[in-house]
Amino acid sequence: MEYDVVIIGAGPAGYVAAIRAGQVGLKTAIIEKIYMGGMCLNWGCIPTKALLESAKVFNKVKVAEEFGVDGIEVDKLSFNWEKAKARSNRISRKLSGGVSYLLKKNGVDVISGTAKLGADHTILVDDKIITAKNIIIATGSKPKAMDKSLSNAPIVEMEKLFELELIPENIVVTGNHVSSVEMAQFFKLIGKKVTLIANSDYFMAGLDDYLITTVTKKLKSENIDLILNAYPEKFENGEIHIGGFNIKCDLLVNCNSRKAIFPESEIPLELTERGFIKTSDSFETSIKGVYAIGDVSGKSFVAHVASAQGIHIINFIKGIKGNFDSTTYPINMYTIPEMSQIGMTEQAIKDEGIEYKISEFPLSVNGKAMIEGNTEGFIRMISDKKYGQILGIQIVAANATDMIAEAGAFMNLEATIYDVAKTIHAHPTVSEIYMEAGFEAIDKAIHL
Amino acid sequence: MRYIFNFPDIGEGLEEGTILEWYVVKGQAIKSGQALVNMETDKIVTDIPSPKAGTIVAIYGSVGETIRVGSPLVEIEIEGVSGEEAIAVANEPVKEVIPEEEGAAGVVGTMELAGKSAILPASDEGSSKQKTEEKPVTKVQATPLARAMARDMKIDINTIFGTGPSGRVSKEDVQNFKPSKGSPERIQRTEPITRILSGDSVTYEPLTQIRKAIAKNMLNSKQSTAHMTLFDEVEISVLMGIREKLKPSFAEKNTKLTYLSFIVKATVQALKQYRQLNSQIDIENERMIFNNRYNIGIAVDTPEGLVVPVIKDADQLSILQIAQKITELSDKARDRKLSLDDMKEGTFTLTNYGSIGGIYATPVINYPQAGILGIGRIIVKPVVKDKMIVIGNVLPLSLSVDHRIVDGGEASRFMNLILEYLSDPILMMME
Repeated sequence: MEYDVVIIGAGPAGYVAAIRAGQVGLKTAIIEKIYMGGMCLNWGCIPTKALLESAKVFNKVKVAEEFGVDGIEVDKLSFNWEKAKARSNRISRKLSGGVSYLLKKNGVDVISGTAKLGADHTILVDDKIITAKNIIIATGSKPKAMDKSLSNAPIVEMEKLFELELIPENIVVTGNHVSSVEMAQFFKLIGKKVTLIANSDYFMAGLDDYLITTVTKKLKSENIDLILNAYPEKFENGEIHIGGFNIKCDLLVNCNSRKAIFPESEIPLELTERGFIKTSDSFETSIKGVYAIGDVSGKSFVAHVASAQGIHIINFIKGIKGNFDSTTYPINMYTIPEMSQIGMTEQAIKDEGIEYKISEFPLSVNGKAMIEGNTEGFIRMISDKKYGQILGIQIVAANATDMIAEAGAFMNLEATIYDVAKTIHAHPTVSEIYMEAGFEAIDKAIHL
Repeated sequence: MRYIFNFPDIGEGLEEGTILEWYVVKGQAIKSGQALVNMETDKIVTDIPSPKAGTIVAIYGSVGETIRVGSPLVEIEIEGVSGEEAIAVANEPVKEVIPEEEGAAGVVGTMELAGKSAILPASDEGSSKQKTEEKPVTKVQATPLARAMARDMKIDINTIFGTGPSGRVSKEDVQNFKPSKGSPERIQRTEPITRILSGDSVTYEPLTQIRKAIAKNMLNSKQSTAHMTLFDEVEISVLMGIREKLKPSFAEKNTKLTYLSFIVKATVQALKQYRQLNSQIDIENERMIFNNRYNIGIAVDTPEGLVVPVIKDADQLSILQIAQKITELSDKARDRKLSLDDMKEGTFTLTNYGSIGGIYATPVINYPQAGILGIGRIIVKPVVKDKMIVIGNVLPLSLSVDHRIVDGGEASRFMNLILEYLSDPILMMME
């Protein structure tokens, strides 16, 4: 059977592309090996954030008395891993079911199995051969495997985290980015001893230096040991040996940098230096009519960009042309407090030689933040000096990951500091800090 | 039918104007006579009305741009006109359809207006294409940044093609903006006008528009008329006394009472008796045109050059009103705020070089008028009064007339009457 579009991989890149393809009337099939909704819904974004939320509640309850809630005996509080996992699973299942429903609703054929790319736009799924005018590879990525020298360590892949029955005491997380910090904080919040090993030279690459410093300080204040630019040498007697130190390790959580998951292919696909599928600006691979989107193309590693690429590519196939802006998207970290960044970093702005201005406003003087008991954080807005264009915004706040959406709208609409300042924000809200940063950029913040 | 409206000669002999403000946007329906754009020339600021009714389909030139006379300003889609009719409409002289132009008179002369506008033939192929490309929009959408940039770069945002959702103009669109091929010739004023050729014995400077206009009109006047000038003087001690007496009460009304106000009054009264001086000759049609209105032009020296605002219906104004009008027009002239209306329809002109220091001159007639009266500096000198030599205050006057229209005798009698009025101001008040 010939399809207009066949998508390999039902993660946020693939399934969104499939829904969109169905909507615009393309005969579409999506092939998924295991996880409907991909890593995002099954062992990434959603379940890990659900776990973090449980940990946040666990911590919030501890200060309930301060809010006037009696009867909570802090000493007796404990974190129930099984229940937290169960809650997380329920959310995942519900969302995953939702994806299946939407695919069906939009007339997309869902094929379970492992796809193998053949010649002449053919795809072999187990024993079945299907052909398609357009093939979209959206097979995603997963953390790089741990070094062989650590093969005797109690490694847990994120994919298998939810199969653990117990969380031991001494946790070591490896990784360099947002997810590793989130996991490190999660284990800390539920009362474990945590070490985070950033096993590359680029801890939090892509984030503003100011945010990286904030993260580093935060980890330190929570007594999470952070080891930068070091590589574990071996695991022996329950300890990881690293740079002359021995770290107790009952569980080694793999949040390493990502590596592409390739579909099997009879024709070789050209790769980038970093080992992802090489694509053009319109996401076409070295094979005509074969596209790659999401993590597998290595252009970004966040679900929301993958989904946007999915929509873009279908529009492209359908003849709705447009440029894909891959610069303005939020990078979120669901820690306490949350951290979020959008647009250019100060370093990048400096490198481009743009004259800029930074305006900051702290949460410590924000009414709503005080009400919620979450006064840790700030907004940091970087604008160009000539026109006042918003170039980048960083927020550290309990709900920074939601608040950043406003910055996205501002930047997408090419707003200036004047627009930010004159956008009336409801009082009391944490988002008032936008307005204040706008005023600060023009002249002076009101409440500072 | 697509009608291209070219920037018309607005009657002051200028060759270009700068766009100050657009009143219309692409896609807007307009009526004939409705103001399209506010233009500034070296002399005036004026609205340019639409010659046709229809829909604006293209706008040329952004705010701040200089447009040459004869270059396109807008394209107007006129419904239901095609073929020969279209050509006829296009060739109609603009003058007839611009209400502003009726009886237009320039600063120092008038210019012919020709129907130089063009049509784009209504071809199906062309129009359907145009329709898809130029969807009528009420107002262009643009991001705040794009607006700020366009303002900064002096580009009319409405002329930029937006590539964003619903045609929204973004930063990139502003950066990529290039004036389209059909746009009028743009004169960049970024370079300094003065170019000094170092080492040369002369400095070349391009002519300003106002200088070009003055040159053209002066030459036209001298070549088209038979200039004749007579000189005379008048003792005005009585007038001076009256002026001194009235000055404080005028000052209370924030008005400066100048001799010019009295001279305007005297001139108008004299013109009423010698209508030949308030006329023009129409050789082509072998007739005289006598003006029934007494609109007195006052030549004003401004840093940019000579301009001549007009006191309309001066015969119906009191000395106070004349004085007020002179103050108003002089201020406007110096601030370059005169409108076309302020400068047209003059029937006779006064030029007050005496305020700078001259005594006599041979003023050049403001063609096609019949005469111009030059006013010199008041001189204190001995005069004979009642057979006695006394100190007199003498006002020298120079009257140039078009000898084709005005004979020497009539010119002298006209002059004498003015002298009489100024010598004995009560007389002019009585009539």
